[in-house]
Amino acid sequence: MTAAREAIALPLTFLTVALLGGLRISDRVALLPPPLFALVLSVLLLALLVRCGALAPDRLMHPSRSMLANLNGLVVVVAVFLATAQAFNAATPDSGVPRVLVNVVFLLLLANTMAASPDRVRALRSLLVVFGSAFVVKFVVLSALSNPPQGVVTRAIQMLFEGVTLGTVTQDVLHPVSGYVAFFTLMLYLFGLVLLGGHSRARPERELRSGNSQR
Amino acid sequence: MPDATVRAIGLVIALTYASVIGWLYVRQPQSAAEVAGGLSASIGAYHVDPQAIEDGLGFFRRDEFAAARSAFARADPAQEDARTQFYIAYSYYRQGWGRLYPDEALFAQGLEAVNRAIARAPGGRIVVDDTDLQMRSGDELKAELEAGLRRDASDFNPARLLRSRK
Repeated sequence: MTAAREAIALPLTFLTVALLGGLRISDRVALLPPPLFALVLSVLLLALLVRCGALAPDRLMHPSRSMLANLNGLVVVVAVFLATAQAFNAATPDSGVPRVLVNVVFLLLLANTMAASPDRVRALRSLLVVFGSAFVVKFVVLSALSNPPQGVVTRAIQMLFEGVTLGTVTQDVLHPVSGYVAFFTLMLYLFGLVLLGGHSRARPERELRSGNSQR
Repeated sequence: MPDATVRAIGLVIALTYASVIGWLYVRQPQSAAEVAGGLSASIGAYHVDPQAIEDGLGFFRRDEFAAARSAFARADPAQEDARTQFYIAYSYYRQGWGRLYPDEALFAQGLEAVNRAIARAPGGRIVVDDTDLQMRSGDELKAELEAGLRRDASDFNPARLLRSRK
C-alpha cells in the first residue's frame, strides 16, 4: 500500500462515510451519531474483515514501522471502525419494528459470514449484498410505504396497512435526497474496503485443506 | 515527495477533517451560514451585523416580535452571539406570554434560544444591560420560560390573572 493511499485516501474516504452515514434530511438536517447496536455490529464486521484478510492490522501498525506510519495506520483503523458503524446507521431504518428486524438480520448475516470463513473477495461480495438489501428495504420499500399517498386508492391501502401493523412499520418521511446520499455513502464505504487491499491472499480453509490432501 | 512528508501531511489532514466532523456532530448546524459562522467563531473571527441588531431592537421595543427575530437572525446567522440569542429568546417569551396561559410552542422555542445564549456566553453567564427589560439575565429568562412550560397546581391560582408580562 502506498503512503498516499494509507495516509490520505483511506482516512478521507472512511471519515467521509462516518460524516454522511449519520446525515438525515427531513424538514431539518440532523447528524445522528451511531446507536450502540451499530457499534456492536461494527466490531463484529471489523473482526470479519480481519479474518478474511480485507483488513490487515499488522500491515497498518507494527513495531517495524516508523511512529508516523503507525499513527497513519491507527487513523485508518479508527476511521474504518467509525465508518462501519455509520454505514450500519445509514442502512438501518430509523424506528419501529423494521429497525429491530434489520438489526437482527445484520447480526445473523454477520455471524453466518464469519462462520463460513470466506476469503476477502467473497466477504466483500457478501457485504455488497447485505448493505444493498438493507438499502432497498429502507429507501425503496419502507419509504414507499411511509410517503404521503398521492391518490385515494393509495391512501386507502396505506391506511389499511397502518391499521393492520398498528403503525409500527411506517417510518418518518425523509427528503428524497436522503436516499441518494445513503447510496453514495454505502458505495463509498465498500469502495474504501476494496482500497484497503488487505493480504494478497487469504485462502478459504476448505481450499487449503483440499490443497494439502492433494499433496 | 518523500513518504514521511506525505504521511505527515495526511495525518494533519485526517485529524483536521475528523475534528471538523466531530464539531459538526456536536453543533448540528442547519445551514451553510451556521457552519461558516461556527467555524469562524471558533477562531474568534465572527462578528454580528450591528445595523441589523439595531433594527431588531427597534422592532422588539415596538412589540413586532416576528420582524425583530428576522432582523436578529440576519444579524447573527450562525447563532453564535449570546446577546442576540438572548433577545430572540426574550421575543419568544413576550410574544408567547398570556395572562391565562402561555403559548407553549413559542415558549419552547424561547427556551431553546436562551439555552443557546447561555451555551455561547463566556462561563455560561449572560447579563444584558437594557433598562427596558425586567429580566436581564439568561438565568431569569430561562426560569420564566421553564415555569411557563411547567404544569402544576399553581396554574389554577386566580392570582395569576393579576401578574404582568416582564
